Amino acid sequence: MDSIRTSYSQVLLVDGGGFFPEDDLHQDVAWFLMDAMKVLGVDAVGMSERELRFGLGYLKAQLKRTQLPMVCANLYEKSSGKLVLAPYVVKQVGSVKVGVFGLMSNTVALGPLGDTLRVEEPTAAAKRTVAELRKRGATVVVLLAQLGKVEGEDLVTAVEGIDAVILGHNMPLLQKGRLIKNTVACYGGEQGQYIGRTLLTLDAKRKMASGDNETFLLGPEIADKKEMAALVKGFNDSFNEKLQKLQKEKAAKDAEKAAQGAPEHYLGGEVCARCHAAEAAQWKATRHAQAWQSLVDAKKDGDPACITCHVVGYNQAGGYKDQATTAAMANVQCESCHGMGSTHDAFSSSPRKVTELTCRICHTKEVSPGFDYALYLPYVSHAGTGQKLPLPGSPMKKQAPSGH
Amino acid sequence: MKTVLSRILATTLLAAIAWMLLAGASAPRGNALEPDKLVILSTVDVKGKTDPCG
Repeated sequence: MDSIRTSYSQVLLVDGGGFFPEDDLHQDVAWFLMDAMKVLGVDAVGMSERELRFGLGYLKAQLKRTQLPMVCANLYEKSSGKLVLAPYVVKQVGSVKVGVFGLMSNTVALGPLGDTLRVEEPTAAAKRTVAELRKRGATVVVLLAQLGKVEGEDLVTAVEGIDAVILGHNMPLLQKGRLIKNTVACYGGEQGQYIGRTLLTLDAKRKMASGDNETFLLGPEIADKKEMAALVKGFNDSFNEKLQKLQKEKAAKDAEKAAQGAPEHYLGGEVCARCHAAEAAQWKATRHAQAWQSLVDAKKDGDPACITCHVVGYNQAGGYKDQATTAAMANVQCESCHGMGSTHDAFSSSPRKVTELTCRICHTKEVSPGFDYALYLPYVSHAGTGQKLPLPGSPMKKQAPSGH
Repeated sequence: MKTVLSRILATTLLAAIAWMLLAGASAPRGNALEPDKLVILSTVDVKGKTDPCG
């Protein structure tokens, strides 16, 4: 943001919506992200059904608390017939009057909220809202579209007067945006790891003359804003503690179940090393052997979504539970790639192949966007084949590339 | 000797000049960097991620 502002003084910052977490365990992240957006000075925020997952009351309470400008032009309360949120915001950005409105899809399930809320067909809502924004003097109109790729593209093709669209809702990441009729489309900015930059050139009347878009990975070369980094760290530290406590309780329950016995189970790398000493020694020099420490350093060692790829058999028979009881199962060990040790006899007669797909279970594009199988393989292969080329920087760890 | 009318005119003229100067100084296009550009920075589908695992 700061670096952009040194080159351009007319900058609009928006979030397209879809930022609420995927599971109830991470509910605190919802309010924290809203706080963070407020601190960043986000000009408008879109919404999707995801923002309703903790209930409309929760969303409204957080919006009231943060005063975040969330917009949606097609979500109505059935009883009153009124819009749930403001349909748009009009912002004066330097010399430009910008209208930003939001839309969500009417094809998604609202769950129990479907009894009280209704989503209007987006195209009709868009036509009406664009006309209203133009009437109010907006010379540039931006749409935050939680519609998915096809529905979003169809809409801007059908509706005149939308200068830029931020497309969201299970979107494929495209580094370069494109022009759809007269609308510049942005296809990226997901998971807090990317940011889209849409650059509009304006004519004398402050209307869009041309434009383009590009999405950037927020890699280590892009420095964190100091205040924001501190805010994130503070939240992560306290949230991690909370998760650790919950995990402890869960581990105790799981231990009871495990005690009942499971036919197959994890053994831990120390058992493998009895016969595979050379492989074990080679493994110790890999980043897989420090996978747990990287979580501790990042204060994510209480987050189950992270733990699962940094230990062996998380919450499975014989696998990692917590540091107090199963510390020996921390890190990415033999069984993470080769399977449960108790099935050893089976896979020695019919070896389980470790392929790129094995790695991709954890090295997903979301958490490991810089992962390149061919490039990374020589760093972990027991065969010692392949040239160890320098690994590119990764947003996973800024000092040195981690296991990701 | 100045008439009341000329005093009023002079005062009005001064006020008008002052207003134009102030308006000019605060006009966004005056000191804008790349005044013919609008940059839209955007995130979307953050899905509850504050930062990567580690």
